[in-house]
Amino acid sequence: MSSKTMSGRFGRLLALGMLLALVLSACGGSASSAPIKVGSKDFSEEFIVGEMYALMLENEGFKVERKHNLGGTPVAQAAIIKGDIDLYPEYTSTGLLTVLKKAPIADPAQILATVKSEYEKQFKLTWLTPSPFNDTNGLAVTQATADKYGIKTYSDLAAKAAELRFGGPAEFAEREDGIKGLAKTYGGFVPKELKQLGTGPLRYDALKNGDIDVVVVFTTDARIASDKLVVLQDDKTFYPIYNIAPVVRQDTLQSNPKIADALNKLAPLLTDDVIAGLNAQVDIEGKEFAVVAKAFLDSAGLLKK
Amino acid sequence: MSAIVVENLTQQFPNELRPAVDQVSFEVEDGAFVVLLGPSGCGKTTLLKMINRLYEPTSGRILVGGVDARSLKDTDLRRRIGYAIQQTGLFPHMRIERNIAVVPRLLGWEQPRINARIDELLDLVGLPRAYRMRYPRQLSGGEQQRVGLARALAADPAIMLMDEPFGAIDAITRTRLQDELAGIQRKLRKTIMFVTHDVEEALRLADKIIIMRAGTIVQYDTPLNIITRPRDKFVRDLTGADDMLRRLSLISVRDALAMRGHNNGLAATNGAAPPATLSPDENLRDALSQLLRAGTKSLPVVDPSGKQLGALSFEDLRALLANTEAVAGYSDPIRTEHRVPAERTENQPA
Amino acid sequence: MKLLVESYQYFLENQARFWQALGQHLTLSMTALAISMLVGVPLGIWISRRARIAELVINGFGALRLVPSLAILFLALPYLGTGFRPALFALTVLAFPPVLINTYAGIHNVDRAVVEAARGMGMEPNQVLRQIELPIAFPAMIAGIRTAAVEVIASATLAAFIGGGGLGDFITRGFALYEPRIMLVGALPVALLALVSEAALASLQRRFDVVSA
Repeated sequence: MSSKTMSGRFGRLLALGMLLALVLSACGGSASSAPIKVGSKDFSEEFIVGEMYALMLENEGFKVERKHNLGGTPVAQAAIIKGDIDLYPEYTSTGLLTVLKKAPIADPAQILATVKSEYEKQFKLTWLTPSPFNDTNGLAVTQATADKYGIKTYSDLAAKAAELRFGGPAEFAEREDGIKGLAKTYGGFVPKELKQLGTGPLRYDALKNGDIDVVVVFTTDARIASDKLVVLQDDKTFYPIYNIAPVVRQDTLQSNPKIADALNKLAPLLTDDVIAGLNAQVDIEGKEFAVVAKAFLDSAGLLKK
Repeated sequence: MSAIVVENLTQQFPNELRPAVDQVSFEVEDGAFVVLLGPSGCGKTTLLKMINRLYEPTSGRILVGGVDARSLKDTDLRRRIGYAIQQTGLFPHMRIERNIAVVPRLLGWEQPRINARIDELLDLVGLPRAYRMRYPRQLSGGEQQRVGLARALAADPAIMLMDEPFGAIDAITRTRLQDELAGIQRKLRKTIMFVTHDVEEALRLADKIIIMRAGTIVQYDTPLNIITRPRDKFVRDLTGADDMLRRLSLISVRDALAMRGHNNGLAATNGAAPPATLSPDENLRDALSQLLRAGTKSLPVVDPSGKQLGALSFEDLRALLANTEAVAGYSDPIRTEHRVPAERTENQPA
Repeated sequence: MKLLVESYQYFLENQARFWQALGQHLTLSMTALAISMLVGVPLGIWISRRARIAELVINGFGALRLVPSLAILFLALPYLGTGFRPALFALTVLAFPPVLINTYAGIHNVDRAVVEAARGMGMEPNQVLRQIELPIAFPAMIAGIRTAAVEVIASATLAAFIGGGGLGDFITRGFALYEPRIMLVGALPVALLALVSEAALASLQRRFDVVSA
């Protein structure tokens, strides 16, 4: 056989094969062939909830790509706008204050309505049903510090701030719901030192070691209880309510409407107690967040097998 | 008085089969230029380095200026002995003047004295005084070796140890440096122990040569005696004792006239100027070369002031060589005994 | 260009914090360098006399260089807490090998003939060290410090990850807020500091290099 015929035959076979592969990949499951990219921000609670979103979607038959630990809010926001991710768990008031840079709103329903309409208008992103638990920013100290400086509320803290060393995430210094917002509402709040210690356990260790006096917490962090810390009272209610919900790209949602069904099924189950328990399993007991997420969904009967 | 006395000196390095230096004994007179000659590995450098205790002897004794070398602190001993090595080892981060000043400063000389001495030494070794401020890397190999020599002479030691100092120099410069060293020695009359493996160099410079092999001394005598009376085949082959021209090179015209005894042969000059003259300080090999060039049977010997001392002919040279052969006892049977006997080998000079 | 202007503006608005961060950064870097020199140079001299120990030590610290500083930083946390101490530890570990190895190499590479001449002329061992070996080895030692300095100044930004402050704080904050202008306020001065040290030490090294023509 001449080589010309050989290569000709081979070439046609190759083309047929590629076409077949394309057709096959086009029909997959009940969704479009491209995997859904689920992201999460840079702390345990985000990992857990993000993983649960991913598992729910896979259970629905979607192919999912996970991108955990992207970074802070601005990083996640940039990623979803660019299309590097399709959805991620975000807090309603974070969207309102940090992304939209609007003033805080007291009523949770109104917060949701506002962020939903603005996100759709400005970013072509939307918000699905939020979960009930509230994870707001807080300021905590040891009981010893509270006694020594006589502080119970943020107002007390604002006055004594100059004698104390604060430690928190890197963006706390700049965010509207960070030190700047507190200073505006309460006055004072010029700390002796403001150390950048991330969103992980390091800031709690620093408080324990005595490297800082006041730690910026998320109110659902497990270590507040285990380290026996005192969360000071936000007497002027500076901090609004932060409910977590999936933020999704509208185009992704349009092509895959079942995403909403899957995630909304999960939403109501995440209460304060539930999330506190899950956080504790990861941060205190040291279990893998993916394992904890799956175990919870299994026990809730959400995964069909 | 002997400047250096060595008694039964031995150096046995650990993990070596045989001693590097094996029960060696000899004496070096004050002001003598003694060359240690031998093939690689014969122990000559090891022996040299035991004199200034860079190696400590395994056994035996060394007397330096009548004093046991071990009774002094090793660094004190070394500061009294000039030391020059093949690679020179000039300190690259110091200017020439500081290099030369090292030992005087160790000895606590005052600066003015050191300064004067530096100038004196640079003149002696034939370097311009302007070189004081230069760094070693700016000098040629030959110039560096001159500085090395100046540095070794700096504190005016009575004894100098030199380990193949001209070994890394090109042949042309080497000859010049050898001549200059010989000239300096004539002026200063230091006691010098000089290591080399170059036979020509040894024969040119030495008052006496210590020939070494496998850690022992084979022969210790003047160059002429070694050539005319080699102790064994090894020495004969090493020094080219059979080379008549070499022998000639070791005898001066002046000595030849003296040995011949009679002073006939004042060449007849027909009033015309002779084709060439011989200098009394020339060696006979060069004289032979002149004779051959002149094409005459003999040439007059004239000293620097112009006074004629005699004449030398081909026949004279031939007779002289035959004479040394007879005197040397060349036809004696070759001795197989290599060790130096207990008595010192003090032969009559040529 | 606009970015640079914005960065400069941010710097102007936050000068107090900038100078504080700069001070922390320099303190951290200088302390790490100082410790590594105080220990590394004498150790380098000591092992230059002991060939077998030298090999062990050099290989050991050479291997240590392969461990990323960030890893060392986090490994140190349980023992040293957060902030200045673990950062100092990690940076000292970073600075130590080049200083040690270059000091050793500098002395080791001094021409044997030079040392022999010095000994043969009657210098005491410590005189040989101080007047001959160390001055000749000096450029090599400077080279080691130069390498260490640049690495330390750049890596001191890692301190920001564990509450150690320094110019890295601006970098992490800029990253967290997705604001490049803030990152530049940290990154540019670090780069500048590194360049300046490199240049200064390089010229110092050249000045003392008398061996090569």
